[in-house]
Amino acid sequence: MSPGLSYVVIKSHSLMADLLTPEQMRALAQQETLELFVEQLAGTSYGRISTETDGDVSLALEKVFYQKFIERMMGIVDLAPTNIGDFLQSYYYLRFEAINLKRIVRGKFSGLPTSKIIDFLIPITPYRVESYEKIAGAETLHDAVRQLEGTQYEPLVSSLELSEKYDALWPVEIALNYLSARGIFKSLERLPQSDRGLVRRIVQAEADVENFLVAAKQRGARENAHSPEEMFPTTYDISLDMLREAMETDDLRAVIQGLNPPYNEILTPLYEGDVALIRSRLRQHVYDIARRGRAANDFGFNVVMAYLVFSEIEKNDLVGIAWGKTQGIAAEDMLKYLTIPNYP
Amino acid sequence: MSATTGIRPTKGFLMEMKRRIGFIEKGTEFLKLKRDHLAKELTSSIDVLKGRRSKLLEELQVAYRGVTAAYISLGPTEVRSQASALKSSLEIEVLPRSTMGVRYPFIKVDKEPQIAGELDITLSEAAEKVLGILNVIIQLAEFESRAERIADELGKTNRKVNALENTIIPSYRGIIKFIEDKLDEESLEELVRMKLIGGALARRRG
Repeated sequence: MSPGLSYVVIKSHSLMADLLTPEQMRALAQQETLELFVEQLAGTSYGRISTETDGDVSLALEKVFYQKFIERMMGIVDLAPTNIGDFLQSYYYLRFEAINLKRIVRGKFSGLPTSKIIDFLIPITPYRVESYEKIAGAETLHDAVRQLEGTQYEPLVSSLELSEKYDALWPVEIALNYLSARGIFKSLERLPQSDRGLVRRIVQAEADVENFLVAAKQRGARENAHSPEEMFPTTYDISLDMLREAMETDDLRAVIQGLNPPYNEILTPLYEGDVALIRSRLRQHVYDIARRGRAANDFGFNVVMAYLVFSEIEKNDLVGIAWGKTQGIAAEDMLKYLTIPNYP
Repeated sequence: MSATTGIRPTKGFLMEMKRRIGFIEKGTEFLKLKRDHLAKELTSSIDVLKGRRSKLLEELQVAYRGVTAAYISLGPTEVRSQASALKSSLEIEVLPRSTMGVRYPFIKVDKEPQIAGELDITLSEAAEKVLGILNVIIQLAEFESRAERIADELGKTNRKVNALENTIIPSYRGIIKFIEDKLDEESLEELVRMKLIGGALARRRG
């Protein structure tokens, strides 16, 4: 039985103390080697993590950080009232499951061996499907998607037609994004009306920026461009017309400057030629949404959500730093793409 | 064993030797021309290589920064998963080409990877940068290999010219001189003999 919202909110407040500060994150990024990074990390709530693996260390570390985040999330889910617990589990599992399914269909599309596809998966238990191994083990992409019949991913089967028409995966991936977002919005109904705003703002900001990036990518390929209606089944603050304009314009700067804040600021690096910085800015924006949400209601669901948002961003930053350390990348080349060290 | 062992001091052999040395000297002139041309090619290649290398290093740094940004932004597993979705890979063919008889590899790109459709924009930007310099890397590799082989050939040609100028031609000249001396000696002996015979015949008649 759930101990109630108050308990989980207090717990979230206390767990925030375990999160890494911008200074700790900067110090981790500034370690010279992977060994020193692991040593420095051992002094935090992560404790000593093992870097021993038969394969790629950066991939193994990414799995470790995912597991740590999933543990944190499940710790909250177990304590939260049923409606909040169910929502949080849906929110994260639907997103991670969408990533896993994308990785499976990509692997099937290019004919990767099943074991390799399974190596790429986020270590979660299947949520809305029976088994990732079973889907990854299918003979063809068609067979793999067909295995999703009877699940909430069934509409993916109809996207196969477009996928075959263009000999590309984007129709399946877009359909998966749409289903995942729809699933999250549906699970939002479990939350009281007053608690839905924060999650809605986060999901919408992420979807809007991703839509714009896809539209910007289509600019160079105008002759082969696909219809915006096909590509963007769901839009929020950045409308379909704006996305169409982004796909057709010669002057992306003007289109971006015409967007409302914060999108005009988040997307500025697009015309400055540093696309990766957009995701860093988006994460900072999401971090900010969560921080403001928490400040607006310091004793409600927003605190729980903020804790998990901060944890996930911390996980993303740690994955980036760990990869950088395995590659011997200098701290200054990594820091601008991280979120927490740049948060004021 | 003397250098003149097996030499027949005959006019026929002398003419053969003179024909040979004429041929060798003409060949040496050609080799010298080749040597000069190769040296010129090598000097200009080295200048071009220096420029191309530093430009490539700059472009590699930009591309590597793009790849780093993509990895940090998306995470290593996502990058590898997306990269694995690319069906077509780079296909090249190595063909032979020749300059002044120096054979070097020429790399023909048969198929470039199609990165447009399947990659996230961060990764596709990084991949485009890498793909952009891939051609420069291939050209540079081709050029370096060409310069290396020209340098090898220059060394060989130089050794051949030196051997011809310092060993072969002098030894032929020595042989020719030996034969000419021998023939002069023989003709002198013949003259003396003729004189003696002429004297003897005159004495017999008188």
